[in-house]
Amino acid sequence: MTARTTYLDQGVGAAMSALSAAAKQGLGDPALAELVMIRASQINACAFCLDMHAEIALKNGESARRIALLNAWEEAGDLFTARERAALALTEAVTVLTDGFVPDEVYEEAAAHFDEAHLAHLIGLITVINGWNRLMVSRRVEPGARPW
Amino acid sequence: MGYPDRRVEGMTTHETAPENTSENAPANSSAKEYVHEHTPRLAWATHAPEVFKAMIRLDAAARKGLDPVIYELVKIRASQINRCALCLDMHTKDALAAGESVERIIQLSAWEESRHFYTAKEVAAIELTEAVTVLTDGFVPDEVYERAAAHFEEAELTQLIAAITVINAWNRFGVTTRQVPGHYKAGDLK
Repeated sequence: MTARTTYLDQGVGAAMSALSAAAKQGLGDPALAELVMIRASQINACAFCLDMHAEIALKNGESARRIALLNAWEEAGDLFTARERAALALTEAVTVLTDGFVPDEVYEEAAAHFDEAHLAHLIGLITVINGWNRLMVSRRVEPGARPW
Repeated sequence: MGYPDRRVEGMTTHETAPENTSENAPANSSAKEYVHEHTPRLAWATHAPEVFKAMIRLDAAARKGLDPVIYELVKIRASQINRCALCLDMHTKDALAAGESVERIIQLSAWEESRHFYTAKEVAAIELTEAVTVLTDGFVPDEVYERAAAHFEEAELTQLIAAITVINAWNRFGVTTRQVPGHYKAGDLK
């Protein structure tokens, strides 16, 4: 694979980090935040992001089994809670946006599990990881490399 | 109420949006009854004000050093692909106000067949916009990246990637929370 650029404007990097922190803090559920970020990174095939967020999740006490089965969460029985499943379904819908909007049933299931403030931050977090995925995949930043 | 683009002219605020009377409807459509405007799913910026502020800051950081004409084309094209109605409303109005031509905006969704409306640099930027936007279709192809890298030097290229990333983020907020188009006035958020 040919290397691309690892340059990124310091201001952009700092603004992305601040956005990330704001969304994560407002969601108030670090374990769920990592699941969301891993799932979006799987869909967007961001190697750097998968490496980073799997490591953070494991460090936070997430189980290897849940991380391994995240890709098949719909078929994973009660391994994920109804709240987590609602968040993962929303993550998928917001991530594959070009497939056609965010279906009402997906949005409503999320709205049933998250109040408006938490839902706004969850949407923010899904959006942010989609941003990181784009910044890393576009520049082909390798797992473990310095992102800028 | 419907046909917001015309109705919005002369409007001072959202709240005072007039009904679709013959006064504010397009001249040739006084008898038409437009579909009612939907309400947004969620006022996300109200519920996550610090996230909204961080987005504004990110947007400002990403546009630095980028040609403003290319920047608006990128924003419009990504919003077309992600079908963000509010974003299209906003960025087509901003582009027109900045002197962009109606023809170039209309042709943008078929740019591959209307390349001669654009410079080679603009085409490279639009192509990169599409690849980064439809990321789930499979990475960003080498040839697309390389064509962009041939027209943009490294710092400008990464600002372009950042700008594409940021409009994709606005698109996600706009579509997911079903924001309402039609009320934006050029320059409102500049």
